Amino acid sequence: MSTPAIEISDLWFAYGGTRVLEGVNLTLPAGEFLAVLGPNGGGKSTLLRLLLGLVTPGGGGVRVLGSPPGEAGGRIGYLPQFTQVSASFPITVLEAVRLGLIRPGLLGLGGFVGRAQRRREHEAALNALARVGLADHAQRRLSDLSGGQRQRVFIARAIVSGPELLLLDEPTASVDGRSRQELMALLAELNTEMTIVMVSHDMSTVDGCVTSIACVNRGLHFHADSRLTPDIFAEATGADPKVGCPVELFAHGKVPHRVVHAHDDPHCCGGRHASGFEGDPKGPKAGGGQGA
Amino acid sequence: MMEALSFEFFRNALLAGLLASVICGVIGSLVVVNRIVFLAGGVAHASYGGVGLAFYLGLPVLPVTAGFSTLAALCMAWVTLTSRERADTVIGVLWAAGMALGIILLDLTPGYNADLMSYLFGSILAVPVEDLWLMAALAAVVLVLVALFARGLLVMSFDTDFARSRGVPVRFLHFLLMGLTALCVVMVIRVVGLILVLALLTIPPFMAERRCRSLAGMMLLSAALSALFCVGGLWLSYSLDLTSGASIIAVACVGFGLSLCLPQRRSQEKAAGRA
Repeated sequence: MSTPAIEISDLWFAYGGTRVLEGVNLTLPAGEFLAVLGPNGGGKSTLLRLLLGLVTPGGGGVRVLGSPPGEAGGRIGYLPQFTQVSASFPITVLEAVRLGLIRPGLLGLGGFVGRAQRRREHEAALNALARVGLADHAQRRLSDLSGGQRQRVFIARAIVSGPELLLLDEPTASVDGRSRQELMALLAELNTEMTIVMVSHDMSTVDGCVTSIACVNRGLHFHADSRLTPDIFAEATGADPKVGCPVELFAHGKVPHRVVHAHDDPHCCGGRHASGFEGDPKGPKAGGGQGA
Repeated sequence: MMEALSFEFFRNALLAGLLASVICGVIGSLVVVNRIVFLAGGVAHASYGGVGLAFYLGLPVLPVTAGFSTLAALCMAWVTLTSRERADTVIGVLWAAGMALGIILLDLTPGYNADLMSYLFGSILAVPVEDLWLMAALAAVVLVLVALFARGLLVMSFDTDFARSRGVPVRFLHFLLMGLTALCVVMVIRVVGLILVLALLTIPPFMAERRCRSLAGMMLLSAALSALFCVGGLWLSYSLDLTSGASIIAVACVGFGLSLCLPQRRSQEKAAGRA
Protein backbone atom coordinates (compact mmCIF):
# COMPACT_ATOMS: atom_id res chain seq x y z
CA MET A 1 0.00 0.00 0.00
CA SER A 2 1.63 3.24 -1.11
CA THR A 3 1.37 6.51 0.82
CA PRO A 4 -1.87 8.34 0.12
CA ALA A 5 -1.41 11.50 -1.94
CA ILE A 6 -3.31 13.53 0.62
CA GLU A 7 -4.25 12.85 4.23
CA ILE A 8 -6.31 15.38 6.11
CA SER A 9 -7.69 14.82 9.59
CA ASP A 10 -9.99 17.05 11.65
CA LEU A 11 -8.75 20.11 9.83
CA TRP A 12 -10.17 23.55 10.47
CA PHE A 13 -9.25 27.00 9.30
CA ALA A 14 -10.56 30.45 10.17
CA TYR A 15 -10.20 33.88 8.63
CA GLY A 16 -10.50 36.30 11.52
CA GLY A 17 -13.22 34.78 13.70
CA THR A 18 -15.16 32.90 11.01
CA ARG A 19 -14.39 29.31 10.32
CA VAL A 20 -14.32 28.73 6.59
CA LEU A 21 -13.37 25.07 6.96
CA GLU A 22 -14.34 22.75 9.78
CA GLY A 23 -14.10 19.04 10.54
CA VAL A 24 -12.43 18.23 7.24
CA ASN A 25 -11.27 14.65 6.78
CA LEU A 26 -9.92 13.24 3.56
CA THR A 27 -7.70 10.38 2.48
CA LEU A 28 -6.96 10.51 -1.19
CA PRO A 29 -5.16 7.47 -2.63
CA ALA A 30 -2.45 8.06 -5.22
CA GLY A 31 -3.60 8.03 -8.83
CA GLU A 32 -6.99 9.67 -8.26
CA PHE A 33 -8.40 12.60 -10.20
CA LEU A 34 -10.33 14.53 -7.59
CA ALA A 35 -12.65 17.37 -8.49
CA VAL A 36 -13.20 19.77 -5.59
CA LEU A 37 -16.55 21.42 -6.07
CA GLY A 38 -18.43 23.89 -3.96
CA PRO A 39 -20.06 27.29 -3.93
CA ASN A 40 -17.95 30.45 -3.99
CA GLY A 41 -16.65 31.23 -0.53
CA GLY A 42 -17.19 27.60 0.49
CA GLY A 43 -13.48 27.11 1.20
CA LYS A 44 -12.29 25.31 -1.96
CA SER A 45 -9.37 27.62 -2.66
CA THR A 46 -8.50 27.80 1.02
CA LEU A 47 -8.26 24.02 1.06
CA LEU A 48 -5.86 24.16 -1.87
CA ARG A 49 -3.78 26.85 -0.17
CA LEU A 50 -3.63 24.68 2.96
CA LEU A 51 -2.37 21.76 0.89
CA LEU A 52 0.31 23.98 -0.64
CA GLY A 53 1.38 25.33 2.73
CA LEU A 54 0.53 28.90 1.69
CA VAL A 55 -1.62 29.22 4.82
CA THR A 56 -1.35 27.27 8.06
CA PRO A 57 -4.35 25.43 9.47
CA GLY A 58 -6.04 26.51 12.68
CA GLY A 59 -5.88 22.91 13.80
CA GLY A 60 -5.83 19.34 12.62
CA GLY A 61 -3.38 17.42 10.48
CA VAL A 62 -2.43 17.73 6.85
CA ARG A 63 0.05 15.54 5.01
CA VAL A 64 0.77 15.85 1.33
CA LEU A 65 2.70 12.97 -0.27
CA GLY A 66 3.61 11.93 3.25
CA SER A 67 5.19 15.30 4.12
CA PRO A 68 3.86 18.38 5.89
CA PRO A 69 2.43 20.91 3.41
CA GLY A 70 4.97 23.16 1.73
CA GLU A 71 7.80 20.67 2.14
CA ALA A 72 7.24 18.46 -0.86
CA GLY A 73 8.67 21.13 -3.22
CA GLY A 74 8.91 20.02 -6.84
CA ARG A 75 6.95 16.82 -6.13
CA ILE A 76 3.84 18.99 -6.25
CA GLY A 77 2.87 20.81 -9.41
CA TYR A 78 0.64 23.85 -8.93
CA LEU A 79 -1.50 25.80 -11.34
CA PRO A 80 -2.62 29.04 -9.68
CA GLN A 81 -5.73 30.90 -10.73
CA PHE A 82 -5.50 32.37 -14.17
CA THR A 83 -5.64 35.99 -13.12
CA GLN A 84 -2.46 35.88 -11.03
CA VAL A 85 0.00 36.62 -13.83
CA SER A 86 0.26 39.97 -15.56
CA ALA A 87 -0.40 39.68 -19.28
CA SER A 88 2.41 42.01 -20.31
CA PHE A 89 5.24 40.37 -18.35
CA PRO A 90 8.32 40.18 -20.57
CA ILE A 91 9.11 36.48 -20.70
CA THR A 92 9.27 33.76 -23.33
CA VAL A 93 7.20 30.61 -23.10
CA LEU A 94 10.30 28.49 -22.54
CA GLU A 95 11.61 30.66 -19.70
CA ALA A 96 8.21 30.69 -18.01
CA VAL A 97 8.18 26.90 -17.99
CA ARG A 98 11.78 26.78 -16.76
CA LEU A 99 10.75 28.70 -13.65
CA GLY A 100 8.95 25.53 -12.55
CA LEU A 101 12.37 24.02 -11.88
CA ILE A 102 13.33 26.51 -9.16
CA ARG A 103 14.65 24.89 -6.02
CA PRO A 104 13.17 25.79 -2.65
CA GLY A 105 14.90 27.98 -0.08
CA LEU A 106 17.69 30.51 -0.38
CA LEU A 107 19.79 28.19 -2.52
CA GLY A 108 17.29 28.35 -5.34
CA LEU A 109 17.45 32.13 -5.65
CA GLY A 110 20.83 32.43 -7.33
CA GLY A 111 20.98 34.07 -10.72
CA PHE A 112 24.00 32.12 -11.90
CA VAL A 113 23.28 28.80 -13.54
CA GLY A 114 26.01 26.62 -15.03
CA ARG A 115 25.93 25.75 -18.70
CA ALA A 116 25.26 22.05 -18.15
CA GLN A 117 22.41 22.79 -15.76
CA ARG A 118 21.02 25.40 -18.13
CA ARG A 119 20.95 22.84 -20.95
CA ARG A 120 19.26 20.25 -18.72
CA GLU A 121 16.64 22.79 -17.71
CA HIS A 122 16.01 23.84 -21.30
CA GLU A 123 15.53 20.23 -22.27
CA ALA A 124 13.13 19.55 -19.41
CA ALA A 125 11.15 22.69 -20.27
CA LEU A 126 10.96 21.72 -23.93
CA ASN A 127 9.77 18.23 -22.99
CA ALA A 128 7.06 19.66 -20.76
CA LEU A 129 5.99 22.01 -23.56
CA ALA A 130 5.86 19.09 -25.99
CA ARG A 131 3.55 17.26 -23.58
CA VAL A 132 1.06 20.11 -23.63
CA GLY A 133 1.45 20.48 -27.39
CA LEU A 134 3.23 23.82 -27.42
CA ALA A 135 6.81 22.90 -28.34
CA ASP A 136 6.56 25.07 -31.47
CA HIS A 137 5.81 28.10 -29.36
CA ALA A 138 8.81 27.84 -27.01
CA GLN A 139 10.48 31.05 -28.20
CA ARG A 140 7.37 33.19 -28.41
CA ARG A 141 6.51 35.84 -25.91
CA LEU A 142 4.03 34.48 -23.40
CA SER A 143 1.74 37.47 -23.91
CA ASP A 144 1.36 36.61 -27.61
CA LEU A 145 -0.44 33.36 -26.76
CA SER A 146 -4.18 32.88 -26.40
CA GLY A 147 -5.78 32.30 -23.02
CA GLY A 148 -6.10 28.55 -23.54
CA GLN A 149 -2.49 28.26 -24.73
CA ARG A 150 -1.25 30.28 -21.78
CA GLN A 151 -3.10 27.98 -19.43
CA ARG A 152 -1.32 25.04 -21.06
CA VAL A 153 2.03 26.82 -20.58
CA PHE A 154 1.27 27.03 -16.87
CA ILE A 155 0.41 23.35 -16.82
CA ALA A 156 3.78 22.70 -18.48
CA ARG A 157 5.41 24.78 -15.72
CA ALA A 158 3.57 22.73 -13.12
CA ILE A 159 4.67 19.37 -14.57
CA VAL A 160 8.22 20.30 -15.61
CA SER A 161 9.61 19.10 -12.29
CA GLY A 162 8.00 15.67 -12.74
CA PRO A 163 5.53 15.99 -9.87
CA GLU A 164 3.54 13.16 -8.29
CA LEU A 165 0.65 15.42 -7.43
CA LEU A 166 -0.90 18.18 -9.52
CA LEU A 167 -2.99 20.85 -7.80
CA LEU A 168 -5.11 22.98 -10.11
CA ASP A 169 -7.05 26.08 -9.12
CA GLU A 170 -9.91 26.72 -11.54
CA PRO A 171 -8.02 25.52 -14.61
CA THR A 172 -10.93 26.03 -16.97
CA ALA A 173 -11.99 29.47 -15.80
CA SER A 174 -11.55 32.13 -18.52
CA VAL A 175 -10.84 29.75 -21.37
CA ASP A 176 -13.33 29.08 -24.17
CA GLY A 177 -15.32 25.89 -24.65
CA ARG A 178 -12.97 24.22 -27.07
CA SER A 179 -9.84 24.98 -25.08
CA ARG A 180 -11.64 23.63 -22.05
CA GLN A 181 -12.22 20.29 -23.74
CA GLU A 182 -8.59 20.13 -24.88
CA LEU A 183 -7.46 21.01 -21.40
CA MET A 184 -9.55 18.26 -19.82
CA ALA A 185 -8.25 15.72 -22.33
CA LEU A 186 -4.69 16.74 -21.45
CA LEU A 187 -5.42 16.40 -17.73
CA ALA A 188 -6.93 12.96 -18.26
CA GLU A 189 -3.71 11.92 -19.98
CA LEU A 190 -1.56 13.38 -17.21
CA ASN A 191 -3.67 11.52 -14.68
CA THR A 192 -2.16 8.23 -15.89
CA GLU A 193 1.10 9.39 -14.27
CA MET A 194 0.09 11.57 -11.37
CA THR A 195 -2.61 12.29 -8.85
CA ILE A 196 -4.65 15.35 -9.75
CA VAL A 197 -6.71 17.60 -7.49
CA MET A 198 -8.73 20.19 -9.35
CA VAL A 199 -10.68 22.98 -7.72
CA SER A 200 -13.51 24.09 -9.93
CA HIS A 201 -16.89 25.72 -9.82
CA ASP A 202 -17.46 24.63 -13.38
CA MET A 203 -19.65 21.52 -13.22
CA SER A 204 -19.11 20.78 -16.88
CA THR A 205 -15.48 19.87 -16.19
CA VAL A 206 -16.66 16.95 -14.10
CA ASP A 207 -16.88 14.50 -16.92
CA GLY A 208 -15.42 11.07 -17.59
CA CYS A 209 -11.85 11.76 -16.52
CA VAL A 210 -12.64 12.69 -12.92
CA THR A 211 -12.50 9.69 -10.60
CA SER A 212 -13.83 11.21 -7.40
CA ILE A 213 -15.55 14.30 -6.14
CA ALA A 214 -15.21 16.32 -2.96
CA CYS A 215 -17.86 18.85 -2.14
CA VAL A 216 -16.51 21.64 0.02
CA ASN A 217 -18.82 23.96 1.83
CA ARG A 218 -17.25 24.56 5.23
CA GLY A 219 -17.20 20.79 5.62
CA LEU A 220 -15.97 18.28 3.09
CA HIS A 221 -17.94 15.38 1.65
CA PHE A 222 -15.92 12.87 -0.28
CA HIS A 223 -17.54 10.77 -3.00
CA ALA A 224 -15.29 8.00 -4.27
CA ASP A 225 -17.10 8.09 -7.56
CA SER A 226 -17.48 10.74 -10.22
CA ARG A 227 -21.24 10.31 -10.58
CA LEU A 228 -23.10 13.55 -10.05
CA THR A 229 -26.19 12.80 -8.00
CA PRO A 230 -28.82 15.35 -7.05
CA ASP A 231 -27.34 15.41 -3.54
CA ILE A 232 -23.82 16.13 -4.76
CA PHE A 233 -25.24 18.67 -7.10
CA ALA A 234 -26.95 20.45 -4.26
CA GLU A 235 -23.83 20.32 -2.09
CA ALA A 236 -21.58 21.55 -4.85
CA THR A 237 -23.70 24.51 -5.75
CA GLY A 238 -24.84 25.28 -2.24
CA ALA A 239 -28.45 25.23 -3.39
CA ASP A 240 -31.50 23.71 -1.81
CA PRO A 241 -32.79 20.94 -4.09
CA LYS A 242 -36.34 21.60 -2.88
CA VAL A 243 -36.21 25.08 -4.40
CA GLY A 244 -35.27 23.83 -7.81
CA CYS A 245 -32.29 23.43 -10.08
CA PRO A 246 -29.71 26.13 -9.39
CA VAL A 247 -28.10 25.78 -12.79
CA GLU A 248 -29.64 27.74 -15.58
CA LEU A 249 -28.98 26.19 -18.92
CA PHE A 250 -30.39 27.74 -22.00
CA ALA A 251 -29.88 26.59 -25.53
CA HIS A 252 -31.72 26.85 -28.79
CA GLY A 253 -32.68 23.67 -30.58
CA LYS A 254 -31.38 20.68 -28.72
CA VAL A 255 -32.36 19.89 -25.19
CA PRO A 256 -29.32 20.57 -23.03
CA HIS A 257 -28.03 17.41 -21.46
CA ARG A 258 -25.12 16.25 -19.41
CA VAL A 259 -23.57 13.84 -16.97
CA VAL A 260 -24.86 10.39 -17.52
CA HIS A 261 -22.78 7.80 -15.81
CA ALA A 262 -21.41 4.81 -17.69
CA HIS A 263 -23.53 1.72 -17.49
CA ASP A 264 -24.01 -1.55 -19.31
CA ASP A 265 -27.68 -1.46 -20.13
CA PRO A 266 -27.85 -2.22 -23.86
CA HIS A 267 -31.42 -0.94 -24.08
CA CYS A 268 -30.35 2.53 -23.20
CA CYS A 269 -28.88 4.81 -25.81
CA GLY A 270 -25.54 3.08 -25.87
CA GLY A 271 -22.99 3.09 -23.10
CA ARG A 272 -21.29 6.08 -21.68
CA HIS A 273 -22.25 9.68 -22.13
CA ALA A 274 -20.54 12.69 -20.81
CA SER A 275 -20.79 15.89 -22.62
CA GLY A 276 -21.05 19.60 -22.24
CA PHE A 277 -24.22 21.43 -23.00
CA GLU A 278 -23.26 22.48 -26.50
CA GLY A 279 -25.67 19.87 -27.76
CA ASP A 280 -23.83 16.97 -29.33
CA PRO A 281 -26.15 15.91 -32.18
CA LYS A 282 -25.35 12.24 -31.61
CA GLY A 283 -25.92 12.50 -27.91
CA PRO A 284 -29.02 11.42 -26.05
CA LYS A 285 -31.83 13.90 -26.18
CA ALA A 286 -33.17 13.14 -22.80
CA GLY A 287 -30.06 12.37 -20.85
CA GLY A 288 -31.57 12.59 -17.43
CA GLY A 289 -30.49 16.15 -16.62
CA GLN A 290 -29.07 16.13 -13.14
CA GLY A 291 -30.68 12.97 -11.96
CA ALA A 292 -29.26 10.20 -14.11
CA MET B 1 27.40 70.24 -25.23
CA MET B 2 31.10 69.80 -26.04
CA GLU B 3 32.08 73.02 -24.31
CA ALA B 4 29.91 72.01 -21.38
CA LEU B 5 31.98 68.87 -21.00
CA SER B 6 35.02 70.97 -20.13
CA PHE B 7 33.37 71.92 -16.84
CA GLU B 8 33.92 69.48 -14.04
CA PHE B 9 30.45 70.03 -12.62
CA PHE B 10 28.93 69.05 -15.94
CA ARG B 11 31.04 65.92 -16.25
CA ASN B 12 30.02 64.98 -12.72
CA ALA B 13 26.41 65.60 -13.60
CA LEU B 14 26.63 63.29 -16.61
CA LEU B 15 28.28 60.57 -14.55
CA ALA B 16 25.66 60.90 -11.83
CA GLY B 17 22.92 60.70 -14.45
CA LEU B 18 24.40 57.58 -16.02
CA LEU B 19 24.89 55.86 -12.65
CA ALA B 20 21.33 56.65 -11.70
CA SER B 21 20.13 55.36 -15.07
CA VAL B 22 21.70 51.96 -14.58
CA ILE B 23 20.08 51.57 -11.18
CA CYS B 24 16.75 52.98 -12.29
CA GLY B 25 16.67 50.54 -15.18
CA VAL B 26 17.23 47.56 -12.91
CA ILE B 27 15.14 48.53 -9.90
CA GLY B 28 12.49 50.39 -11.90
CA SER B 29 11.84 47.24 -13.94
CA LEU B 30 11.38 45.22 -10.77
CA VAL B 31 9.13 47.91 -9.27
CA VAL B 32 6.94 48.00 -12.37
CA VAL B 33 6.52 44.24 -12.85
CA ASN B 34 5.87 43.73 -9.14
CA ARG B 35 3.27 46.51 -9.19
CA ILE B 36 4.78 48.33 -6.23
CA VAL B 37 4.99 51.78 -7.82
CA PHE B 38 2.91 53.22 -5.00
CA LEU B 39 5.27 51.69 -2.44
CA ALA B 40 8.26 53.16 -4.28
CA GLY B 41 6.54 56.54 -4.20
CA GLY B 42 6.01 56.15 -0.48
CA VAL B 43 9.68 55.36 0.08
CA ALA B 44 10.77 58.30 -2.08
CA HIS B 45 8.70 60.81 -0.17
CA ALA B 46 9.32 59.37 3.28
CA SER B 47 13.04 59.65 2.59
CA TYR B 48 12.67 63.40 3.09
CA GLY B 49 12.57 62.59 6.76
CA GLY B 50 16.13 61.32 6.33
CA VAL B 51 17.21 64.59 4.72
CA GLY B 52 15.74 66.54 7.64
CA LEU B 53 17.37 64.23 10.14
CA ALA B 54 20.77 64.63 8.49
CA PHE B 55 20.55 68.43 8.66
CA TYR B 56 19.22 68.41 12.21
CA LEU B 57 22.06 66.21 13.42
CA GLY B 58 24.63 67.91 11.20
CA LEU B 59 25.61 64.64 9.51
CA PRO B 60 26.33 63.92 5.81
CA VAL B 61 23.05 63.83 3.92
CA LEU B 62 23.40 60.84 1.60
CA PRO B 63 24.34 58.12 4.15
CA VAL B 64 21.75 59.28 6.68
CA THR B 65 19.04 59.44 4.04
CA ALA B 66 20.03 55.99 2.77
CA GLY B 67 19.68 54.53 6.27
CA PHE B 68 16.43 56.34 6.97
CA SER B 69 14.77 55.36 3.68
CA THR B 70 15.84 51.76 4.02
CA LEU B 71 14.20 51.68 7.42
CA ALA B 72 11.06 53.30 6.05
CA ALA B 73 11.02 50.84 3.14
CA LEU B 74 11.32 47.84 5.45
CA CYS B 75 8.46 49.21 7.57
CA MET B 76 6.33 49.49 4.45
CA ALA B 77 7.31 46.00 3.32
CA TRP B 78 6.25 44.70 6.72
CA VAL B 79 2.93 46.55 6.52
CA THR B 80 2.13 45.15 3.08
CA LEU B 81 2.84 41.63 4.25
CA THR B 82 0.86 41.79 7.48
CA SER B 83 -2.15 44.01 6.89
CA ARG B 84 -2.76 43.43 3.20
CA GLU B 85 -6.26 44.80 3.45
CA ARG B 86 -5.43 48.40 4.28
CA ALA B 87 -1.78 48.40 3.30
CA ASP B 88 -2.21 51.22 0.79
CA THR B 89 -3.70 53.48 3.44
CA VAL B 90 -0.87 52.83 5.88
CA ILE B 91 1.69 53.45 3.11
CA GLY B 92 -0.05 56.76 2.44
CA VAL B 93 0.29 57.69 6.10
CA LEU B 94 4.00 56.76 6.20
CA TRP B 95 4.49 58.70 2.95
CA ALA B 96 3.15 61.90 4.52
CA ALA B 97 4.68 61.26 7.94
CA GLY B 98 8.19 61.03 6.49
CA MET B 99 7.81 64.29 4.61
CA ALA B 100 6.33 66.10 7.61
CA LEU B 101 9.14 64.84 9.84
CA GLY B 102 11.68 66.13 7.36
CA ILE B 103 10.15 69.58 7.20
CA ILE B 104 9.78 69.86 10.99
CA LEU B 105 13.35 68.77 11.58
CA LEU B 106 14.55 71.35 9.06
CA ASP B 107 12.48 73.99 10.90
CA LEU B 108 14.18 73.03 14.13
CA THR B 109 17.67 73.13 12.62
CA PRO B 110 19.37 76.34 13.80
CA GLY B 111 20.87 78.50 11.08
CA TYR B 112 19.46 76.26 8.42
CA ASN B 113 19.84 77.67 4.96
CA ALA B 114 20.40 74.69 2.66
CA ASP B 115 18.52 74.66 -0.56
CA LEU B 116 15.36 72.76 0.21
CA MET B 117 14.33 72.64 -3.39
CA SER B 118 17.48 70.80 -4.38
CA TYR B 119 16.27 67.69 -2.57
CA LEU B 120 12.77 67.96 -3.84
CA PHE B 121 13.68 68.57 -7.46
CA GLY B 122 17.26 67.38 -7.71
CA SER B 123 20.59 69.14 -7.90
CA ILE B 124 22.47 67.10 -10.42
CA LEU B 125 24.62 70.07 -11.46
CA ALA B 126 25.97 70.31 -7.92
CA VAL B 127 27.04 66.72 -7.32
CA PRO B 128 30.43 66.68 -5.62
CA VAL B 129 32.97 63.95 -6.43
CA GLU B 130 32.51 62.29 -3.00
CA ASP B 131 28.83 61.81 -3.73
CA LEU B 132 29.68 60.24 -7.06
CA TRP B 133 31.79 57.65 -5.27
CA LEU B 134 29.02 56.99 -2.80
CA MET B 135 26.54 56.60 -5.65
CA ALA B 136 28.88 54.21 -7.43
CA ALA B 137 29.22 52.13 -4.26
CA LEU B 138 25.44 52.02 -3.79
CA ALA B 139 25.01 51.07 -7.44
CA ALA B 140 27.49 48.23 -7.02
CA VAL B 141 25.70 46.95 -3.91
CA VAL B 142 22.33 47.04 -5.67
CA LEU B 143 23.62 45.32 -8.81
CA VAL B 144 25.42 42.58 -6.88
CA LEU B 145 22.35 41.86 -4.76
CA VAL B 146 20.04 41.74 -7.77
CA ALA B 147 22.42 39.41 -9.63
CA LEU B 148 22.78 37.22 -6.56
CA PHE B 149 19.04 36.74 -6.19
CA ALA B 150 18.11 37.12 -9.85
CA ARG B 151 16.23 33.87 -10.23
CA GLY B 152 14.25 34.28 -7.06
CA LEU B 153 13.31 37.85 -7.97
CA LEU B 154 12.18 36.68 -11.40
CA VAL B 155 10.04 33.85 -10.01
CA MET B 156 8.47 36.12 -7.40
CA SER B 157 7.78 38.91 -9.90
CA PHE B 158 6.23 36.53 -12.39
CA ASP B 159 3.91 34.63 -10.06
CA THR B 160 4.06 35.11 -6.31
CA ASP B 161 1.68 32.29 -5.40
CA PHE B 162 3.54 29.80 -7.54
CA ALA B 163 6.86 30.92 -6.05
CA ARG B 164 5.50 30.49 -2.54
CA SER B 165 4.15 27.04 -3.36
CA ARG B 166 7.64 25.99 -4.43
CA GLY B 167 9.17 27.07 -1.13
CA VAL B 168 10.80 30.22 -2.53
CA PRO B 169 11.30 32.65 0.39
CA VAL B 170 9.02 35.29 -1.05
CA ARG B 171 8.87 37.21 2.23
CA PHE B 172 12.64 37.68 2.25
CA LEU B 173 12.66 38.69 -1.42
CA HIS B 174 9.92 41.26 -0.80
CA PHE B 175 11.97 42.88 1.97
CA LEU B 176 15.05 42.72 -0.24
CA LEU B 177 13.28 44.42 -3.14
CA MET B 178 11.95 47.18 -0.88
CA GLY B 179 15.42 47.74 0.59
CA LEU B 180 16.93 47.95 -2.89
CA THR B 181 14.21 50.37 -3.93
CA ALA B 182 15.13 52.60 -1.01
CA LEU B 183 18.82 52.65 -1.99
CA CYS B 184 17.85 53.37 -5.56
CA VAL B 185 15.59 56.24 -4.52
CA VAL B 186 18.37 57.80 -2.45
CA MET B 187 20.70 57.72 -5.45
CA VAL B 188 18.17 59.21 -7.79
CA ILE B 189 17.21 62.01 -5.37
CA ARG B 190 20.51 63.65 -6.33
CA VAL B 191 19.58 63.52 -9.99
CA VAL B 192 15.92 64.45 -10.26
CA GLY B 193 14.83 64.96 -6.65
CA LEU B 194 12.46 62.90 -4.57
CA ILE B 195 9.28 64.24 -6.12
CA LEU B 196 10.34 63.29 -9.63
CA VAL B 197 11.99 59.96 -8.74
CA LEU B 198 8.84 58.06 -9.64
CA ALA B 199 8.96 59.24 -13.24
CA LEU B 200 12.47 57.95 -13.79
CA LEU B 201 11.58 54.68 -12.04
CA THR B 202 8.45 54.01 -14.06
CA ILE B 203 8.63 55.65 -17.49
CA PRO B 204 11.64 53.79 -18.95
CA PRO B 205 10.52 50.34 -17.69
CA PHE B 206 7.00 50.97 -18.94
CA MET B 207 8.36 51.78 -22.40
CA ALA B 208 10.73 48.82 -22.33
CA GLU B 209 8.34 46.17 -21.00
CA ARG B 210 6.32 45.55 -24.13
CA ARG B 211 9.38 45.51 -26.35
CA CYS B 212 11.44 42.94 -24.46
CA ARG B 213 11.40 39.19 -24.21
CA SER B 214 13.01 38.87 -20.79
CA LEU B 215 13.21 40.76 -17.51
CA ALA B 216 16.96 41.22 -18.00
CA GLY B 217 16.35 42.69 -21.44
CA MET B 218 13.76 45.00 -19.94
CA MET B 219 16.30 46.18 -17.37
CA LEU B 220 18.93 46.85 -20.05
CA LEU B 221 16.58 48.73 -22.34
CA SER B 222 15.18 50.76 -19.41
CA ALA B 223 18.70 51.70 -18.36
CA ALA B 224 19.55 52.77 -21.90
CA LEU B 225 16.36 54.83 -22.21
CA SER B 226 16.99 56.34 -18.80
CA ALA B 227 20.52 57.33 -19.84
CA LEU B 228 19.14 58.87 -23.01
CA PHE B 229 16.65 60.93 -21.00
CA CYS B 230 19.32 62.04 -18.54
CA VAL B 231 21.76 63.17 -21.23
CA GLY B 232 18.98 64.79 -23.26
CA GLY B 233 17.60 66.51 -20.18
CA LEU B 234 20.99 67.79 -19.12
CA TRP B 235 21.62 69.18 -22.58
CA LEU B 236 18.22 70.88 -22.54
CA SER B 237 18.85 72.26 -19.09
CA TYR B 238 22.29 73.56 -20.08
CA SER B 239 21.27 75.17 -23.34
CA LEU B 240 18.01 76.73 -22.17
CA ASP B 241 19.06 77.35 -18.56
CA LEU B 242 16.27 75.24 -17.06
CA THR B 243 16.08 73.23 -13.83
CA SER B 244 17.99 70.03 -14.59
CA GLY B 245 15.76 67.49 -12.78
CA ALA B 246 12.60 68.84 -14.37
CA SER B 247 14.27 68.93 -17.79
CA ILE B 248 15.20 65.26 -17.51
CA ILE B 249 11.65 64.32 -16.58
CA ALA B 250 10.28 66.52 -19.38
CA VAL B 251 12.42 64.67 -21.91
CA ALA B 252 11.31 61.35 -20.41
CA CYS B 253 7.65 62.36 -20.66
CA VAL B 254 8.08 63.35 -24.30
CA GLY B 255 9.71 59.96 -24.92
CA PHE B 256 6.80 58.31 -23.12
CA GLY B 257 4.33 60.15 -25.33
CA LEU B 258 6.23 59.21 -28.48
CA SER B 259 6.35 55.55 -27.45
CA LEU B 260 2.57 55.55 -27.10
CA CYS B 261 2.28 56.81 -30.67
CA LEU B 262 4.61 54.13 -32.03
CA PRO B 263 2.96 50.86 -33.09
CA GLN B 264 2.37 48.83 -29.95
CA ARG B 265 4.33 45.71 -30.79
CA ARG B 266 6.20 44.17 -33.61
CA SER B 267 6.91 41.06 -31.59
CA GLN B 268 3.79 39.36 -32.93
CA GLU B 269 5.20 39.16 -36.46
CA LYS B 270 8.70 38.59 -35.19
CA ALA B 271 7.61 35.67 -33.06
CA ALA B 272 5.51 34.24 -35.86
CA GLY B 273 8.55 34.44 -38.10
CA ARG B 274 10.62 32.51 -35.59
CA ALA B 275 8.09 29.80 -34.95
